Amino acid sequence: MKKFINKIALYTFFILLIGNGIAFLSLYVLGKSQLYKNQFVKNGVKEKHFDYVVLGSSTGLTTLDTKLIDKTLNTSGLNISMDDTSLSSHYLMLQYFLSLGKTTDQLILCVTPGDLQNPVNELNNNDYRFLTEVQDTLIYNYYDRMEQGGLKVLAYSKFMPILGVSYYNNELFYPSLYAFLKPNKRNRFDDKGNFTYPQIKNNIEKGIVSNIETSYLNPSFLKIKKLCKQKGIDLVVYQSPIYRKNVVFPTNEDFKIINHSTILPEELFYDNIHVNSKGRTFCTLAFCKEIKNP
Amino acid sequence: MFFNSLSFAIFLPIVFLLYWFVFNKNKTTQNAVLIVASYYFYSCWDWRFLFLLVFSTLLDYFSAIMMENSTTDKKRKIWLWLTIGINLGFLGVFKYYDFFVQSFADLLNGFGFQTNPVLLKLILPVGISFYTFHGLSYVIDIYYKRITAERNFIDYSLFVSYFPLLVAGPIERATHLLPQVKIKRHFNFEKAKEGVYQIIWGLVKKVVIADSCATYANAVFDNYESMNSLSLMLGAVYFAFQIYGDFSGYSDIALGTSKLFGIDLLKNFNYPYFSRDIAEFWRRWHISLSSWFRDYLYIPLGGSQGGMWMKVRNTFIIFLVSGFWHGANWTFIIWGLLNAIYFLPLLLRNKNRSNMGEIEMGWNFNSVKAILNILGTFVLTTVAWIFFRANSISEAIGYIQKMVTDFHFDSQYLSNERYNFELLLLVLVFVFVEWFNRSKVEPLSGKASWIKVTLAIMALLALGVYSDYKEFIYFQF
Repeated sequence: MKKFINKIALYTFFILLIGNGIAFLSLYVLGKSQLYKNQFVKNGVKEKHFDYVVLGSSTGLTTLDTKLIDKTLNTSGLNISMDDTSLSSHYLMLQYFLSLGKTTDQLILCVTPGDLQNPVNELNNNDYRFLTEVQDTLIYNYYDRMEQGGLKVLAYSKFMPILGVSYYNNELFYPSLYAFLKPNKRNRFDDKGNFTYPQIKNNIEKGIVSNIETSYLNPSFLKIKKLCKQKGIDLVVYQSPIYRKNVVFPTNEDFKIINHSTILPEELFYDNIHVNSKGRTFCTLAFCKEIKNP
Repeated sequence: MFFNSLSFAIFLPIVFLLYWFVFNKNKTTQNAVLIVASYYFYSCWDWRFLFLLVFSTLLDYFSAIMMENSTTDKKRKIWLWLTIGINLGFLGVFKYYDFFVQSFADLLNGFGFQTNPVLLKLILPVGISFYTFHGLSYVIDIYYKRITAERNFIDYSLFVSYFPLLVAGPIERATHLLPQVKIKRHFNFEKAKEGVYQIIWGLVKKVVIADSCATYANAVFDNYESMNSLSLMLGAVYFAFQIYGDFSGYSDIALGTSKLFGIDLLKNFNYPYFSRDIAEFWRRWHISLSSWFRDYLYIPLGGSQGGMWMKVRNTFIIFLVSGFWHGANWTFIIWGLLNAIYFLPLLLRNKNRSNMGEIEMGWNFNSVKAILNILGTFVLTTVAWIFFRANSISEAIGYIQKMVTDFHFDSQYLSNERYNFELLLLVLVFVFVEWFNRSKVEPLSGKASWIKVTLAIMALLALGVYSDYKEFIYFQF
């Protein structure tokens, strides 16, 4: 019996040692790459100051083209949006961006009506991408706060990286091998952080436009607002097009709202909530017009 | 609490240590700790269903004693049918009531009668099909005087509720399990080591193979109308490996876990995809259920004693009942029917027992024939799995129709999602590993076992699917 338990213990120790070593290397390599948005902001962006940054989820990533904005308004911008995330991740990304010593005059926050009025923040699908920075107190505290259940895979990866790297092996371990070979490769975004959906025939269902009312209940939104105020950043809330929906925002005097929920012709949608490449140009030019002429 | 969950990884070592270090005094204390652990394990799904488990245990325990104490055959028969009736009644209410009522209502609606059926919409107690059959085998064996009724309630309770097999089998027999729980178990290093190897290999099958295949198979089956021939074929093949990895992986973990407590369970899988015909497949797939139907349905119905007609009739009955056992849906019944149809030519030519021995390979014609037969059998079972996986018969037919008429073989879905060609490679490696170890219980034991175990654990860590968690398929049955 003792022999059995000793062997199991010894073997577990051996596996943990090797596994953690590999996981540590994996995160190290990924942390030096530009694969995901946070690594790109850290390793791939040399500029320290921007006129504006676009922050949001997939709609933020694909609706406003910072290159076109810069060309039109003669500005310097960056898209730090990350797909499949929500306001809690946006707040983390903004904090992370600022913690790298970077600054911006304006924050274009791309929101969705559901997320904006969601009072409960949870861990988002792509939050694991920050795991390369888990030793950073900002990231660790975020994971510790957001993860539910007994085993906080991401938070505890600070001490045992094998947890997060094996749990998200397909998302972290294999990309790290790829990043080792191609450290400058970016995961579906260009050198300014933008991505666009192709121009294909969409299958969206036709119908009449209805209103969606939203409110500012999301605690992360309030934190973003507060952080912007502290840092002297001008906050602009941007609502991208949603097919057949007119988003109604409560009035406020704290920040500017650019509401493009109903401006897009049907053929410029990629799906119900995303625009295609032509739609992106359409929205970006409309955005430039509104931001220039308040 | 699933075998591939963190809670089980904590639960198992605690029970193991309590069993061997604290309650190792005699077999009663050993059994008692396993019963408590089993009840806790079961209550993790829904504690309310514990009453059902306790009731089923009490019913079979007392009716077996009453049956044995009965002085006349008539009384014995009454007890037998009463027990079978109540057991199947529970199964019927929880699992089949809504199906029958809805099917009957659909039939009436088809004839123009408008009906508004009352459906119970009950949650299916996890493992009910398994422990009901488990208990039924016991009372039927008592009735036929194959065994004597168990008088020790603790021993009998453990026989019914033993956690490694409680929720998804294997469906044990009293003749095999009861003698083991009636004696004190002593720790056996080799057996425990085998158990650990089997658990690790079971996890590889579930977390690496089944769950990876599931990601692809689910995407294809859920969107089959927009998929081309190649994607649909791959979807079907991946589902075949998903269900094999899922269920045989579960069985391996169950058998391995049980070995840690010094108890052997019935083998449930024996490399079924290396079968040369469908009869051999059913001797290698879900063995405990197939043999259950053979012993408690096929043989009592007359088996193959009454000539060819009776043989064919009985074969169709057991396949249809087997399909229906899996779930209250016409898709399972068609799946059973398809397997019966596959079986028919073998039966008519008396060839259903022609591939009883192990596959022997060499550089000769027989080996080529064997490989072609294996591939043919795999194709047949894969087509049948489409019905098993589809949500409706029309969906399954639509899937097959599109698969054989689309004639587009570009890597449509395969190339642009998270699992592409690497998944095919992974499945091929798995097939090779199983093929070269087909004479063993699992591939990790034998020479250089520590290297193989290390590789298996590395595969679990690097290839396992965790962030897209999937439950065991057979838990729903």
